[in-house]
Amino acid sequence: MKPLLLTFLACGLAVLAAKPGLADVGTGKTTFEANKCQDCHSVEKAGAAADIHAHMDTKGPELWYAGSKFQKDWLAKWLVEPTKIRFMLHGMPSMKIGDHAKLSADDAAQVTDYLMSLTSDLVKPGTIKPKKNPKGRLIFTKKMPCSGCHQFPTKKKYDGGRTGPSLVGAGDRLNPDWIYAYLANIDEFKPVRPMPNFVGILSDKDMINVARYVASFKSKK
Amino acid sequence: MHKTTLLTMLLLAGLFQAMPAYADDTEAVFGFYCAQCHGTEGKGDGPNVTKDFPVSPRNFTNAEEMNKLSDADLKNVIMDGGPAASKSPMMPPWSKTLSEAQVDGLIKHLRKICACKGKQG
Repeated sequence: MKPLLLTFLACGLAVLAAKPGLADVGTGKTTFEANKCQDCHSVEKAGAAADIHAHMDTKGPELWYAGSKFQKDWLAKWLVEPTKIRFMLHGMPSMKIGDHAKLSADDAAQVTDYLMSLTSDLVKPGTIKPKKNPKGRLIFTKKMPCSGCHQFPTKKKYDGGRTGPSLVGAGDRLNPDWIYAYLANIDEFKPVRPMPNFVGILSDKDMINVARYVASFKSKK
Repeated sequence: MHKTTLLTMLLLAGLFQAMPAYADDTEAVFGFYCAQCHGTEGKGDGPNVTKDFPVSPRNFTNAEEMNKLSDADLKNVIMDGGPAASKSPMMPPWSKTLSEAQVDGLIKHLRKICACKGKQG
């Protein structure tokens, strides 16, 4: 009996050792809740706003796919020293957006582990390689201008609109594969949002080129 | 129930069915999607219209200009974007985002803003 019990315990420890994230994710979820992040951020897809009024009641972006959306290193640093990404809530100047809470380094690391565990099957790894490509640039700035609503880096500093989240530094912040998946499945990720749905309007190739272009945006130093 | 009352009710129900299905809360739709560029009062001064914005978004309060456009023209631009009417692509296509009922509601809203009926026929 003893050898069997010891074998069982050893196997259990081996499983935990092979998946160190499991314990981290649990701790991270506890830390997430202790910091009351859920007061502003939903981590359940089922909780997505169904209409404009419900959307207007939300205080922060949904995080049920955060692990597919963000780059881990960026997220861990940002939670300690948050910078402005959105200029206004829901694209409305009447709705001012406050500063995001700052977490301690330990809490940020734990919350990051938790958020990185929240993923979407719609994001296929290895789809998009960042590249400043002329076709993506043409669509972004002229043909279907994302620049109308999204700030982006230029040679001088930045240009673009203010109702969408800034894409300056998107190449450091966002998973390139998620950028494409978002364009191709926007209603799945965010059923109600001020951004148009370009499915059936932009071709798949166009979306790939735009995603590659956006993924090339680095932060200004 | 009295026959006349019943007939009246049926007639009214039929009339309501025949009316276009305007979206509920059109003001919310306008404020959420359109005001980003056209401004909350439709004057073309939304928060995206920075000094670098390449065109001036349509000012819906300008009745003289709005009267040059029919309701079909407005629907065309909203659904398929500026290039569908030889206008700037800064106006995106909303056909995959808004329902036809929402767009019909928006057109009524724009006519209220300009206090004009637009080109007829």
